[in-house]
Amino acid sequence: MTRPTHDKPRATFCNRTRREFLWQAGAGFTGAALTGMLAEDGFLANQAVAADGATPFRNPLAPRKPHFEPKAKSVIFLFMYGGPSQVDTFDYKPKLYPLDGKTIDVKTFGRGGHKNKGRVVGPKWKFKKYGQCGKMVSDLFPHVGECVDDIAFIHSMYAESPIHGSAMFMMNSGRLVSGSPCMGSWVTYGLGSVNENLPGHIVMLDPTGGPISGAKNWSSGFMPAQYQGTIFRSEGEPILNLKPPAGMSRTTQRKLLDTLKAYNDEHAAKHIKNSDLAARIASYELAYKMQMHAPEATDISGEPDHIKVLYGLDDPKTANFGRRMLLTRRLVERGVRYIQVYAGGNHNDNNWDAHGDLEKNHNYHAGRTDKPIAGLLKDLKQRGLLESTIVVWGGEFGRQPTAEYAKGTGRDHNSYGFTMWMAGGGIKGGVSVGQTDELGAHAVEDRFHVKNLHATVLQQMGLDPNHLSYFFGGLNHRLVGVEDTEPMNQII
Amino acid sequence: MTRLIPTNLLATTLLLSAMLTGLVRAADAPATPEQVKFYNDEVRPILVKNCLKCHGGEKRIRGDLDLTFRDGVLKGGELGPAVNTQKPDASWLLVAIGYEDDDLQMPPKGKLDAAKIATLTKWVKMGAPYPPDAKPKHTHAEAGDDNTKINERTRNHWSFRPIVRPAVPALRDGGWVRNPIDAFILQRLTSAGLRPVKPADKVSLLRRAYYDLIGLPPTPAQVEAFLKDTSPDAYEKVIDQLLASPHYGEKWGRHWLDLVHYAESNSFERDNPKPDVWRYRDFVIRAFNEDMPYDQFIREQLAGDELETVTPRSMIATGYYRLGLWDDESADPPKSRWDELDDWVTVTGQGVLGLTLNCARCHSHKIDPLPQEDYYRFLAFFRDVKSFQNGRDGHGKGFNQGNFHRRLAEHVKPDDLKKYASQITFDDTKLNQLDAQLSRWDKEIADKLPGGVRDDWKFESNKLAVLKSHAKLLPKGLKGRYEKAFNEREQQRAARANADVRVLAISAERNPPVTHVQIRGNAGVNGKAVEPGFPQVLGFPEPKFDAPKDGARSAGRRTVLVDWLFDDKNPLVARVIVNRVWQHHFGRGIVASANDFGFQGDRPTHPHLLDWLASEFRSQGWSFKKLHKLIMTSSTYRLSASYDSTAYGKDPNNLLRWRFDVRRLTAEEIRDSVLTMNGRLHTPIYGKSVYPPIPREVMQGQSRPGANWPTSGEPDRYRRSIYIHVKRSLLVPMLEDFDVADTDNTCPVRFATTQPTQALGMLNSEFILDQARAFAARLRKEAGNDVRDQVAQALRLATQRTPQASEIDRGIKLIDELKNVDGISADKALEYYCLVVLNLNEFVYLD
Repeated sequence: MTRPTHDKPRATFCNRTRREFLWQAGAGFTGAALTGMLAEDGFLANQAVAADGATPFRNPLAPRKPHFEPKAKSVIFLFMYGGPSQVDTFDYKPKLYPLDGKTIDVKTFGRGGHKNKGRVVGPKWKFKKYGQCGKMVSDLFPHVGECVDDIAFIHSMYAESPIHGSAMFMMNSGRLVSGSPCMGSWVTYGLGSVNENLPGHIVMLDPTGGPISGAKNWSSGFMPAQYQGTIFRSEGEPILNLKPPAGMSRTTQRKLLDTLKAYNDEHAAKHIKNSDLAARIASYELAYKMQMHAPEATDISGEPDHIKVLYGLDDPKTANFGRRMLLTRRLVERGVRYIQVYAGGNHNDNNWDAHGDLEKNHNYHAGRTDKPIAGLLKDLKQRGLLESTIVVWGGEFGRQPTAEYAKGTGRDHNSYGFTMWMAGGGIKGGVSVGQTDELGAHAVEDRFHVKNLHATVLQQMGLDPNHLSYFFGGLNHRLVGVEDTEPMNQII
Repeated sequence: MTRLIPTNLLATTLLLSAMLTGLVRAADAPATPEQVKFYNDEVRPILVKNCLKCHGGEKRIRGDLDLTFRDGVLKGGELGPAVNTQKPDASWLLVAIGYEDDDLQMPPKGKLDAAKIATLTKWVKMGAPYPPDAKPKHTHAEAGDDNTKINERTRNHWSFRPIVRPAVPALRDGGWVRNPIDAFILQRLTSAGLRPVKPADKVSLLRRAYYDLIGLPPTPAQVEAFLKDTSPDAYEKVIDQLLASPHYGEKWGRHWLDLVHYAESNSFERDNPKPDVWRYRDFVIRAFNEDMPYDQFIREQLAGDELETVTPRSMIATGYYRLGLWDDESADPPKSRWDELDDWVTVTGQGVLGLTLNCARCHSHKIDPLPQEDYYRFLAFFRDVKSFQNGRDGHGKGFNQGNFHRRLAEHVKPDDLKKYASQITFDDTKLNQLDAQLSRWDKEIADKLPGGVRDDWKFESNKLAVLKSHAKLLPKGLKGRYEKAFNEREQQRAARANADVRVLAISAERNPPVTHVQIRGNAGVNGKAVEPGFPQVLGFPEPKFDAPKDGARSAGRRTVLVDWLFDDKNPLVARVIVNRVWQHHFGRGIVASANDFGFQGDRPTHPHLLDWLASEFRSQGWSFKKLHKLIMTSSTYRLSASYDSTAYGKDPNNLLRWRFDVRRLTAEEIRDSVLTMNGRLHTPIYGKSVYPPIPREVMQGQSRPGANWPTSGEPDRYRRSIYIHVKRSLLVPMLEDFDVADTDNTCPVRFATTQPTQALGMLNSEFILDQARAFAARLRKEAGNDVRDQVAQALRLATQRTPQASEIDRGIKLIDELKNVDGISADKALEYYCLVVLNLNEFVYLD
């Protein structure tokens, strides 16, 4: 791209490098032309060729070089929508049990507002030691317990909102409001994706529905649409519009495409050197290939029985989430860059949002995810994929140690302190960092903001969290925000 | 910031003990050897381990606070001095390490233990002694670039200079120059050794004019009429017709809606609809159709409530302030309020002024001469605009706009009101009864619901679902009675909405609070107080305000702002808007960064032309229609999109405009064109939004699939795309695939991406297959049963030109093969051919 010749300001904080400028398709130049230029720049690592074997297609999601040697190639974010309770899962608080039923002084902030007192709900499950590291894990997660030596637990997470809507945006995009790209968009923007026959950024939803705010959670915000998450269904047609219309055979469709191409080639010949037109021609060939290859990724008929059992496909309770976990592994194997899987959807007790009966809620959600998640970790590990795949587990916040209402065991939201865990992709196993207070209410030691989690993921993917930026609206935006943010060095 | 002075008993005790041991020093006395030893042995290790990484140890200093030397501590950072030597208790440093304030907790990774806090407190009470040789590890570079200073040079930035109408170049051009635009263009081309390519053929030009002005293709009859008309003004007549078409406003109104991120829901958990927001869209469409002068257009949106004569229209225009995100359950209300104000600064700053004022919210602008103060001075103009309140559910008494009739009566002359809303006859009695009954039941039911569901129950949009899932807990029959009353109330509301003209409009206050600079952009952390003011670099005198009159309903500041925007000397506003008009005709503005005319933005490729256009636009009474005609009748606009190897070699990106750039149609143009092909496009102008079908699979992404999306039947679902309800969390897939504007940010330039998902949607989606079916039906009806006629007509409709025989043959061959080889019925084969036609590059690209 030749820019108008004029003096530019000297390089400063908000200024753009040439590469950043090129990435900023928003200046009014088309995405295809842009990637074309990047290719000429020697910037894109790979160039695919369309199915006709001739037309070069510059896939906007072609792989890009990371900033430095990455530890991981893919990210799996297991999103425990609704917010699991830390003191009932992985953050063992022995002193909380005897306080059950007692009203104590504790500062909380949740859906019910700010409170200074509350009735303690003692943890409802017993904890026991697992693995060589001796990690205490509650009885909700016996299978994940078997994997603790591969897991780094972060007990001192905090976030800025205890309200689902804004907290989901924060966990996904680092901001309390919608309009910014989510982490999956940042990762695919930074790295592209390896398999051009599958979307690079995939979202799998719970059968009960999406999370609140729906598609805003996997939106690419001010970035172009190619970076947004694509919903991938575990049953039936995996991607919207993937299947040719009923009754149209592949040969018929091929004939349509060949005719289309003949028209389009003639048209393109009248528009010499117009790369947009060439790109659109090629995009049809890529779409044709996707139709063939994407369904293969969801065909698990060739998976041996012991693998299906490992993921819990043999048990109706775990079969649904197990299938999604198994597909997740298959997608990772096929080079998909970023996969987010929601455990829980819709509202209230269809997800981890245990305002009413804590035991019923968490037994249900842990019960259907524990074995499949452990299955995924074990399977990735036995295939050597865990080394290059980051697995993140957690919700948009945690829950309070006290009850929300005068009666019952329901806990309100808590963003002052909660637990998340990570595994694989160069994350240390068998470690626990950070602490909440004795009640599990506030993160007090080695506190980590959501942004530190984001920075850690980017860092492991070979992207410098403080340099991966996108110019929009006069500012260089970053996933981690304005302030430089460190990854969680204790776990990498 | 909730508490400035930590009430730390421990600190007080320490202070006493420190005094007793004689360690307290006067503020400016040199540190004693004991104090230096105390610092070195006890304080410094704590600082090194916990603080200096961000505050002095490394090259990046956070919050502008350097703790490595005493002056750094005394000067302090963005919050002011870190240690207050007069009142040590009130030192920011102690507030921070005491974790007394939710917004300022240091170190961020966790509170220091009590012993360390005691040590630091003791040291602060001493007056923060350092060894005499303690110096900063890094010298602070002068922050920012020179361009951030307001001085002679930056005041002279090209876009900050007054607009002086340049002389039109006199050229010997052999008749190519039709109007001054051409003279400016040709002068640059000539001096670069380039020639413009040949003019576009008549059909291409017609197609271009149609899409550019009304966003729709010409019909075969319109093409034919134009081809037949050989009069010299045939083209001008078409432009006049198109400018007079009501579809013109639908096309150009959408450009404005992109800038103000028009959307009809609030985002966040419920993403509820914004009531009556569509009237604002109608205002915009109508303003373009009526060629409302740009100054009036902006005045009504920014200050429509402050006009000498407030009209229903001007109140509707103030919906401008109501288009943003709104968290009905904010975890941090002060922050949400400042975010709302920020949105108005951002949209007005970038949209009208072409300045990224928003970059100066947290710190002074890093590139432009816009100090942080300027951001808050500008924001203060909007400070009287009250926060959006939608009621939690977008219904009931929480309405911001209340009853429009009642509200407007406060602003509008009775006659005007009657003219606008003559049919207001709605009787509230029944509605009020239902409200009262339902609210009693609401309480009764809430008490019977379990924990979390009780929270859900607060939101009206959840009620029927909750009722259904928890019917067992309720007294027998209550569910049925409740549902009946609930539905009846919905009907009453709908009746009222029809009878009652209500708008989503501004509400303001006469005496807004003082505006303070928010330190580091942190809501509630007040810095210096500021008055409303213009960006200082532009060199205008400070605005003057009369005290609001008795009974005034606003502070009157926004009128002063608009007066300034349209002051003859304002250098930005006219340049910014004519550049946008140019951009939408040519695909790229004279200034490519249409929202940024600052130092970081692109320079104009044709500065004189830009200034001439700006000056002409002003002198023609800010009329868009005159500007369109001026641009479209130029030879420059009429150029073909041909290739020229010499010109391409020298200027591949066509910056000098030696040809016309091919462009892809926008998302709306593509959908509307598809519906034009099969004759389904339903084209009434104005009115409420419609809800075309969205595939179930996409709905599944919602937490309540289908919520707030009452799918429209025919023919509403085939209305033009601008009337589709804009729900922030649920966009129509086809529009989203083709890069419709982001709903949450001002969008000056659309993306035009090319992705396989677009191809999948255009080949396989239910939408496209249904349209192809209807397209085929139309062909059979209009072209009869002859395949050759059907194919020819399909191509003519899609490309507006007469197809060549070989092109028709190709279509026939496909249809034959589908029938004879694949065994597909004739009807189906034609449908599939229509599908091919809808996917043609020539259909979605414009020469």
